[in-house]
Amino acid sequence: MKIFDSTFKEIFSSQIISLVGGVITGTIIAFYTDKLLLLPGILILLPGFLEMRGNISGSFASRLSSGLFLGVIKPNKTTIHLLKGNLIASFLLAIIVSGVLGIIAFLFNYFVFHIMTYKIIFLSLIAGILANLIEIPLTLFATFYLFKKGYDPNNIMAPFITSTGDIISICALLITLLII
Amino acid sequence: MKNKQKKDINYYLTKLVKLERRKYHPLVHKVHRKHNISKKTLFYIREYGPHSHIPRVIIKESIKVLLLASIISSIGGLAFENIKDIFISLIPIIILFPALNGLIGGFGGIVSSKFASMLHEGKAIGSLLKSRELKTLLIQILIISTITTSLSALVSLVLSQFSSYSLNFDIALKVFLIAIIDSTILVMALFFIAIKAGIYLFKKKEDPNNFLIPITTAIADFGNMIILSFLIILFF
Repeated sequence: MKIFDSTFKEIFSSQIISLVGGVITGTIIAFYTDKLLLLPGILILLPGFLEMRGNISGSFASRLSSGLFLGVIKPNKTTIHLLKGNLIASFLLAIIVSGVLGIIAFLFNYFVFHIMTYKIIFLSLIAGILANLIEIPLTLFATFYLFKKGYDPNNIMAPFITSTGDIISICALLITLLII
Repeated sequence: MKNKQKKDINYYLTKLVKLERRKYHPLVHKVHRKHNISKKTLFYIREYGPHSHIPRVIIKESIKVLLLASIISSIGGLAFENIKDIFISLIPIIILFPALNGLIGGFGGIVSSKFASMLHEGKAIGSLLKSRELKTLLIQILIISTITTSLSALVSLVLSQFSSYSLNFDIALKVFLIAIIDSTILVMALFFIAIKAGIYLFKKKEDPNNFLIPITTAIADFGNMIILSFLIILFF
Protein backbone atom coordinates (compact mmCIF):
# COMPACT_ATOMS: atom_id res chain seq x y z
CA MET A 1 0.00 0.00 0.00
CA LYS A 2 1.66 3.20 -1.22
CA ILE A 3 0.45 6.13 0.86
CA PHE A 4 2.77 8.98 -0.14
CA ASP A 5 2.13 8.88 -3.89
CA SER A 6 1.21 11.62 -6.40
CA THR A 7 -2.43 11.65 -5.17
CA PHE A 8 -1.20 12.40 -1.66
CA LYS A 9 0.92 15.29 -2.96
CA GLU A 10 -1.91 16.75 -5.07
CA ILE A 11 -4.47 16.63 -2.23
CA PHE A 12 -1.95 18.00 0.25
CA SER A 13 -0.98 20.94 -2.01
CA SER A 14 -4.58 21.94 -2.77
CA GLN A 15 -5.47 21.75 0.95
CA ILE A 16 -2.47 23.93 1.85
CA ILE A 17 -3.73 26.62 -0.58
CA SER A 18 -7.17 26.37 1.02
CA LEU A 19 -5.59 26.60 4.49
CA VAL A 20 -3.69 29.80 3.60
CA GLY A 21 -6.87 31.44 2.26
CA GLY A 22 -8.83 30.35 5.33
CA VAL A 23 -6.24 31.67 7.77
CA ILE A 24 -6.07 35.06 5.99
CA THR A 25 -9.88 35.29 6.10
CA GLY A 26 -9.93 34.31 9.78
CA THR A 27 -7.27 36.88 10.58
CA ILE A 28 -9.28 39.65 8.86
CA ILE A 29 -12.41 38.60 10.81
CA ALA A 30 -10.45 38.52 14.08
CA PHE A 31 -8.89 41.92 13.36
CA TYR A 32 -12.27 43.55 12.70
CA THR A 33 -14.27 41.57 15.29
CA ASP A 34 -15.55 44.78 16.90
CA LYS A 35 -16.98 46.00 13.58
CA LEU A 36 -18.07 42.74 12.01
CA LEU A 37 -19.09 40.23 14.62
CA LEU A 38 -20.98 42.57 16.92
CA LEU A 39 -23.77 43.06 14.37
CA PRO A 40 -26.71 40.86 15.46
CA GLY A 41 -27.19 37.88 13.17
CA ILE A 42 -23.87 38.21 11.35
CA LEU A 43 -22.81 34.69 12.36
CA ILE A 44 -26.02 33.34 10.80
CA LEU A 45 -25.16 35.12 7.55
CA LEU A 46 -21.40 34.55 7.44
CA PRO A 47 -21.12 30.78 6.68
CA GLY A 48 -23.63 30.91 3.83
CA PHE A 49 -22.09 34.11 2.50
CA LEU A 50 -18.63 32.54 2.38
CA GLU A 51 -19.98 29.34 0.82
CA MET A 52 -21.98 31.18 -1.86
CA ARG A 53 -18.85 32.40 -3.64
CA GLY A 54 -17.53 28.86 -4.10
CA ASN A 55 -20.91 27.54 -5.19
CA ILE A 56 -21.53 30.21 -7.83
CA SER A 57 -18.02 30.93 -9.11
CA GLY A 58 -17.02 27.26 -8.79
CA SER A 59 -19.85 26.16 -11.07
CA PHE A 60 -19.10 29.10 -13.40
CA ALA A 61 -15.43 28.04 -13.69
CA SER A 62 -16.44 24.43 -14.22
CA ARG A 63 -18.89 25.35 -17.02
CA LEU A 64 -16.24 27.57 -18.62
CA SER A 65 -13.65 24.78 -18.47
CA SER A 66 -16.04 22.28 -20.09
CA GLY A 67 -16.87 24.82 -22.82
CA LEU A 68 -13.18 25.55 -23.42
CA PHE A 69 -12.25 21.87 -23.67
CA LEU A 70 -15.15 21.16 -26.00
CA GLY A 71 -14.19 24.14 -28.16
CA VAL A 72 -17.56 25.88 -27.89
CA ILE A 73 -15.95 28.75 -25.93
CA LYS A 74 -12.86 30.40 -27.39
CA PRO A 75 -10.42 31.99 -24.92
CA ASN A 76 -9.82 34.94 -27.26
CA LYS A 77 -13.45 35.79 -27.99
CA THR A 78 -15.18 37.23 -24.95
CA THR A 79 -18.41 38.33 -26.59
CA ILE A 80 -20.01 35.06 -27.58
CA HIS A 81 -23.57 34.18 -26.67
CA LEU A 82 -22.61 31.31 -24.37
CA LEU A 83 -20.15 33.37 -22.36
CA LYS A 84 -22.53 36.30 -21.97
CA GLY A 85 -25.27 33.93 -20.83
CA ASN A 86 -22.96 32.40 -18.21
CA LEU A 87 -21.89 35.82 -16.90
CA ILE A 88 -25.48 37.10 -16.65
CA ALA A 89 -26.62 33.89 -14.92
CA SER A 90 -23.77 34.02 -12.37
CA PHE A 91 -24.47 37.67 -11.49
CA LEU A 92 -28.20 37.09 -11.21
CA LEU A 93 -27.65 34.00 -9.03
CA ALA A 94 -25.32 36.00 -6.79
CA ILE A 95 -27.94 38.75 -6.34
CA ILE A 96 -30.75 36.27 -5.63
CA VAL A 97 -28.73 34.15 -3.18
CA SER A 98 -27.30 37.23 -1.36
CA GLY A 99 -30.81 38.58 -0.91
CA VAL A 100 -32.14 35.24 0.31
CA LEU A 101 -29.23 34.83 2.76
CA GLY A 102 -29.96 38.29 4.17
CA ILE A 103 -33.66 37.52 4.53
CA ILE A 104 -32.95 34.16 6.23
CA ALA A 105 -30.54 35.86 8.68
CA PHE A 106 -33.14 38.57 9.36
CA LEU A 107 -35.92 36.02 9.96
CA PHE A 108 -33.80 33.79 12.23
CA ASN A 109 -32.72 36.87 14.13
CA TYR A 110 -36.28 38.05 14.57
CA PHE A 111 -37.93 34.74 15.46
CA VAL A 112 -35.14 33.14 17.51
CA PHE A 113 -33.44 36.12 19.17
CA HIS A 114 -36.31 38.66 18.90
CA ILE A 115 -33.99 41.26 17.35
CA MET A 116 -35.09 43.24 14.29
CA THR A 117 -32.17 44.20 12.04
CA TYR A 118 -33.17 45.18 8.50
CA LYS A 119 -29.57 46.24 8.06
CA ILE A 120 -28.49 42.63 7.62
CA ILE A 121 -30.56 42.24 4.41
CA PHE A 122 -28.93 45.29 2.79
CA LEU A 123 -25.54 44.24 4.10
CA SER A 124 -25.83 40.81 2.47
CA LEU A 125 -27.22 42.16 -0.79
CA ILE A 126 -24.72 45.00 -1.30
CA ALA A 127 -21.72 42.96 -0.13
CA GLY A 128 -22.82 40.05 -2.37
CA ILE A 129 -22.99 42.30 -5.43
CA LEU A 130 -19.68 43.96 -4.56
CA ALA A 131 -17.86 40.67 -4.00
CA ASN A 132 -19.21 39.13 -7.19
CA LEU A 133 -18.26 42.18 -9.25
CA ILE A 134 -14.69 41.23 -8.39
CA GLU A 135 -14.89 37.44 -8.11
CA ILE A 136 -16.80 36.59 -11.31
CA PRO A 137 -14.51 38.53 -13.72
CA LEU A 138 -11.52 37.21 -11.75
CA THR A 139 -12.77 33.64 -12.24
CA LEU A 140 -13.31 34.29 -15.95
CA PHE A 141 -9.84 35.69 -16.57
CA ALA A 142 -8.09 33.11 -14.37
CA THR A 143 -9.84 30.22 -16.15
CA PHE A 144 -8.97 31.64 -19.58
CA TYR A 145 -5.40 32.38 -18.54
CA LEU A 146 -4.82 28.86 -17.19
CA PHE A 147 -6.36 27.28 -20.27
CA LYS A 148 -4.22 29.41 -22.61
CA LYS A 149 -1.11 28.42 -20.64
CA GLY A 150 -1.96 24.74 -21.15
CA TYR A 151 -3.17 23.88 -17.64
CA ASP A 152 -6.42 22.12 -16.79
CA PRO A 153 -8.47 24.82 -14.98
CA ASN A 154 -10.53 22.07 -13.27
CA ASN A 155 -7.54 21.08 -11.13
CA ILE A 156 -6.58 24.61 -10.06
CA MET A 157 -9.72 26.74 -9.98
CA ALA A 158 -11.45 25.07 -6.99
CA PRO A 159 -8.81 25.93 -4.34
CA PHE A 160 -8.20 29.29 -6.08
CA ILE A 161 -11.88 30.25 -5.85
CA THR A 162 -12.20 29.03 -2.25
CA SER A 163 -9.20 31.06 -1.13
CA THR A 164 -9.75 34.28 -3.08
CA GLY A 165 -13.53 34.08 -2.63
CA ASP A 166 -13.31 33.98 1.18
CA ILE A 167 -10.92 36.94 1.31
CA ILE A 168 -12.92 39.03 -1.19
CA SER A 169 -16.20 38.24 0.60
CA ILE A 170 -14.91 39.35 4.00
CA CYS A 171 -13.45 42.56 2.54
CA ALA A 172 -16.77 43.25 0.74
CA LEU A 173 -18.68 42.74 4.00
CA LEU A 174 -16.37 45.14 5.83
CA ILE A 175 -16.60 47.82 3.10
CA THR A 176 -20.41 47.51 3.02
CA LEU A 177 -20.57 47.78 6.80
CA LEU A 178 -18.64 51.04 6.57
CA ILE A 179 -20.97 52.31 3.80
CA ILE A 180 -24.25 51.52 5.56
CA MET B 1 -18.98 12.76 -50.31
CA LYS B 2 -17.43 15.03 -47.70
CA ASN B 3 -20.02 17.72 -48.41
CA LYS B 4 -22.85 15.24 -47.99
CA GLN B 5 -21.45 14.10 -44.65
CA LYS B 6 -21.10 17.71 -43.47
CA LYS B 7 -24.70 18.41 -44.48
CA ASP B 8 -25.74 15.28 -42.62
CA ILE B 9 -24.02 16.38 -39.39
CA ASN B 10 -25.51 19.87 -39.65
CA TYR B 11 -28.95 18.39 -40.18
CA TYR B 12 -28.64 16.21 -37.08
CA LEU B 13 -27.16 18.96 -34.91
CA THR B 14 -29.92 21.41 -35.88
CA LYS B 15 -32.46 18.73 -34.98
CA LEU B 16 -30.63 18.06 -31.72
CA VAL B 17 -30.71 21.67 -30.44
CA LYS B 18 -34.46 21.78 -31.07
CA LEU B 19 -35.10 18.79 -28.79
CA GLU B 20 -36.65 19.31 -25.41
CA ARG B 21 -33.65 19.41 -23.08
CA ARG B 22 -34.83 17.16 -20.30
CA LYS B 23 -36.05 14.26 -22.40
CA TYR B 24 -33.68 11.51 -23.40
CA HIS B 25 -33.77 11.15 -27.15
CA PRO B 26 -32.26 8.32 -29.23
CA LEU B 27 -30.95 10.96 -31.65
CA VAL B 28 -28.14 11.77 -29.18
CA HIS B 29 -27.02 8.16 -29.23
CA LYS B 30 -27.36 7.98 -33.01
CA VAL B 31 -25.24 11.11 -33.67
CA HIS B 32 -22.68 9.92 -31.11
CA ARG B 33 -22.28 6.55 -32.85
CA LYS B 34 -22.56 7.68 -36.45
CA HIS B 35 -20.35 10.77 -36.35
CA ASN B 36 -18.14 9.92 -33.39
CA ILE B 37 -19.01 13.14 -31.52
CA SER B 38 -18.58 12.73 -27.77
CA LYS B 39 -21.70 12.57 -25.63
CA LYS B 40 -20.37 15.47 -23.52
CA THR B 41 -20.21 17.71 -26.61
CA LEU B 42 -23.70 16.67 -27.65
CA PHE B 43 -24.97 17.33 -24.13
CA TYR B 44 -23.40 20.81 -24.21
CA ILE B 45 -24.90 21.56 -27.65
CA ARG B 46 -28.33 20.45 -26.47
CA GLU B 47 -28.10 22.21 -23.09
CA TYR B 48 -26.65 25.55 -24.24
CA GLY B 49 -27.49 25.57 -27.96
CA PRO B 50 -28.59 28.70 -29.86
CA HIS B 51 -32.24 28.01 -29.05
CA SER B 52 -31.62 27.80 -25.33
CA HIS B 53 -31.96 30.82 -23.02
CA ILE B 54 -28.66 30.24 -21.20
CA PRO B 55 -29.18 32.38 -18.06
CA ARG B 56 -32.61 30.83 -17.56
CA VAL B 57 -31.27 27.27 -17.94
CA ILE B 58 -28.39 27.88 -15.49
CA ILE B 59 -30.52 29.71 -12.92
CA LYS B 60 -33.32 27.14 -13.12
CA GLU B 61 -30.93 24.23 -12.58
CA SER B 62 -28.79 25.85 -9.86
CA ILE B 63 -31.22 27.85 -7.78
CA LYS B 64 -32.74 24.95 -5.80
CA VAL B 65 -29.36 23.56 -4.68
CA LEU B 66 -28.06 27.07 -3.89
CA LEU B 67 -31.11 27.94 -1.80
CA LEU B 68 -30.92 24.62 0.04
CA ALA B 69 -27.21 25.19 0.73
CA SER B 70 -28.03 28.73 1.99
CA ILE B 71 -30.66 27.41 4.40
CA ILE B 72 -28.38 24.63 5.69
CA SER B 73 -25.49 27.07 6.20
CA SER B 74 -27.75 29.56 7.97
CA ILE B 75 -28.99 26.86 10.36
CA GLY B 76 -25.35 26.02 11.09
CA GLY B 77 -24.68 29.73 11.59
CA LEU B 78 -27.55 29.85 14.05
CA ALA B 79 -25.64 27.41 16.27
CA PHE B 80 -22.70 29.84 16.19
CA GLU B 81 -24.88 32.88 16.86
CA ASN B 82 -26.12 31.07 20.00
CA ILE B 83 -22.60 30.91 21.41
CA LYS B 84 -21.54 34.29 19.99
CA ASP B 85 -20.27 35.65 23.34
CA ILE B 86 -17.86 32.73 23.85
CA PHE B 87 -16.95 32.62 20.14
CA ILE B 88 -15.89 36.25 19.81
CA SER B 89 -13.82 36.01 22.96
CA LEU B 90 -11.73 33.18 21.45
CA ILE B 91 -9.50 34.86 18.87
CA PRO B 92 -7.68 31.60 17.83
CA ILE B 93 -11.05 29.94 17.11
CA ILE B 94 -12.19 32.96 15.02
CA ILE B 95 -9.01 32.66 12.93
CA LEU B 96 -9.33 28.88 12.76
CA PHE B 97 -13.00 28.70 11.74
CA PRO B 98 -12.80 29.68 8.00
CA ALA B 99 -9.66 27.55 7.56
CA LEU B 100 -11.36 24.49 9.08
CA ASN B 101 -14.50 25.10 7.03
CA GLY B 102 -12.44 25.28 3.83
CA LEU B 103 -10.36 22.21 4.70
CA ILE B 104 -13.28 19.98 5.65
CA GLY B 105 -15.34 21.14 2.65
CA GLY B 106 -12.31 20.37 0.47
CA PHE B 107 -12.01 16.85 1.91
CA GLY B 108 -15.72 16.32 1.23
CA GLY B 109 -15.24 17.26 -2.43
CA ILE B 110 -12.08 15.16 -2.80
CA VAL B 111 -13.56 12.03 -1.19
CA SER B 112 -16.72 12.34 -3.29
CA SER B 113 -15.03 12.83 -6.65
CA LYS B 114 -12.39 10.14 -5.97
CA PHE B 115 -14.98 7.63 -4.81
CA ALA B 116 -17.25 8.39 -7.79
CA SER B 117 -14.30 7.76 -10.15
CA MET B 118 -13.47 4.50 -8.29
CA LEU B 119 -17.07 3.34 -8.72
CA HIS B 120 -16.98 4.08 -12.46
CA GLU B 121 -13.65 2.28 -12.83
CA GLY B 122 -14.89 -0.70 -10.82
CA LYS B 123 -12.21 -0.28 -8.13
CA ALA B 124 -14.56 0.24 -5.21
CA ILE B 125 -16.78 -2.79 -5.28
CA GLY B 126 -17.40 -4.30 -1.85
CA SER B 127 -16.93 -2.83 1.59
CA LEU B 128 -14.30 -0.40 2.82
CA LEU B 129 -12.33 -3.21 4.43
CA LYS B 130 -12.15 -5.23 1.19
CA SER B 131 -11.12 -2.45 -1.19
CA ARG B 132 -7.41 -1.65 -1.11
CA GLU B 133 -7.88 1.60 -3.04
CA LEU B 134 -10.46 2.83 -0.55
CA LYS B 135 -8.34 1.93 2.45
CA THR B 136 -5.36 3.80 0.95
CA LEU B 137 -7.53 6.87 0.27
CA LEU B 138 -8.90 6.85 3.82
CA ILE B 139 -5.40 6.65 5.33
CA GLN B 140 -4.14 9.42 2.99
CA ILE B 141 -7.04 11.71 3.84
CA LEU B 142 -6.66 11.07 7.58
CA ILE B 143 -2.92 11.84 7.49
CA ILE B 144 -3.42 15.01 5.40
CA SER B 145 -6.31 16.15 7.58
CA THR B 146 -4.25 15.67 10.76
CA ILE B 147 -1.27 17.59 9.31
CA THR B 148 -3.30 20.47 7.81
CA THR B 149 -5.57 20.81 10.85
CA SER B 150 -2.59 20.85 13.22
CA LEU B 151 -0.90 23.44 10.99
CA SER B 152 -3.96 25.68 10.89
CA ALA B 153 -4.41 25.42 14.67
CA LEU B 154 -0.74 26.28 15.18
CA VAL B 155 -0.89 29.27 12.80
CA SER B 156 -4.07 30.59 14.40
CA LEU B 157 -2.49 30.31 17.86
CA VAL B 158 0.64 32.14 16.70
CA LEU B 159 -1.40 34.88 14.97
CA SER B 160 -3.63 35.37 18.01
CA GLN B 161 -0.47 36.20 19.97
CA PHE B 162 -0.17 39.40 17.90
CA SER B 163 -3.53 40.62 19.15
CA SER B 164 -4.28 41.58 22.74
CA TYR B 165 -5.48 38.03 23.39
CA SER B 166 -3.89 36.45 26.44
CA LEU B 167 -2.99 32.95 25.37
CA ASN B 168 -1.90 30.27 27.82
CA PHE B 169 -0.99 26.58 27.52
CA ASP B 170 -4.41 25.43 28.68
CA ILE B 171 -6.26 27.42 25.99
CA ALA B 172 -3.73 26.44 23.30
CA LEU B 173 -4.21 22.75 24.12
CA LYS B 174 -7.99 23.11 24.03
CA VAL B 175 -7.91 24.89 20.65
CA PHE B 176 -5.62 22.19 19.29
CA LEU B 177 -7.86 19.38 20.58
CA ILE B 178 -11.02 21.06 19.26
CA ALA B 179 -9.50 21.33 15.76
CA ILE B 180 -8.23 17.73 15.69
CA ILE B 181 -11.43 16.16 17.12
CA ASP B 182 -13.64 18.23 14.80
CA SER B 183 -11.75 17.38 11.61
CA THR B 184 -11.27 13.67 12.46
CA ILE B 185 -14.97 13.13 13.24
CA LEU B 186 -16.04 14.95 10.09
CA VAL B 187 -13.55 13.27 7.75
CA MET B 188 -14.66 9.81 9.00
CA ALA B 189 -18.34 10.79 8.71
CA LEU B 190 -17.83 12.20 5.20
CA PHE B 191 -16.05 9.03 4.10
CA PHE B 192 -18.84 6.84 5.43
CA ILE B 193 -21.59 8.99 3.87
CA ALA B 194 -19.79 9.23 0.51
CA ILE B 195 -19.40 5.43 0.35
CA LYS B 196 -22.97 4.62 1.39
CA ALA B 197 -24.57 7.30 -0.82
CA GLY B 198 -22.18 6.61 -3.71
CA ILE B 199 -22.91 2.86 -3.79
CA TYR B 200 -26.65 3.53 -3.47
CA LEU B 201 -26.63 6.05 -6.35
CA PHE B 202 -24.43 3.83 -8.50
CA LYS B 203 -26.78 0.87 -8.04
CA LYS B 204 -29.66 3.12 -9.10
CA LYS B 205 -27.76 3.83 -12.36
CA GLU B 206 -27.20 7.49 -11.44
CA ASP B 207 -23.87 9.30 -11.83
CA PRO B 208 -22.59 9.82 -8.22
CA ASN B 209 -20.59 12.86 -9.45
CA ASN B 210 -23.77 14.91 -9.78
CA PHE B 211 -25.00 14.32 -6.24
CA LEU B 212 -22.11 13.38 -3.95
CA ILE B 213 -20.23 16.71 -4.05
CA PRO B 214 -23.19 18.95 -3.12
CA ILE B 215 -24.27 16.43 -0.43
CA THR B 216 -20.85 16.06 1.19
CA THR B 217 -20.02 19.80 0.96
CA ALA B 218 -23.29 20.74 2.67
CA ILE B 219 -22.77 18.06 5.36
CA ALA B 220 -19.16 19.20 5.85
CA ASP B 221 -20.12 22.85 6.35
CA PHE B 222 -23.14 22.17 8.51
CA GLY B 223 -21.39 19.44 10.52
CA ASN B 224 -18.36 21.65 11.11
CA MET B 225 -20.45 24.44 12.61
CA ILE B 226 -22.51 22.10 14.81
CA ILE B 227 -19.54 20.02 16.07
CA LEU B 228 -17.37 23.11 16.56
CA SER B 229 -20.14 24.82 18.57
CA PHE B 230 -20.60 21.69 20.69
CA LEU B 231 -16.85 21.36 21.32
CA ILE B 232 -16.52 25.07 22.22
CA ILE B 233 -19.31 24.70 24.79
CA LEU B 234 -17.72 21.51 26.09
CA PHE B 235 -14.18 22.87 26.42
CA PHE B 236 -14.87 26.48 27.42
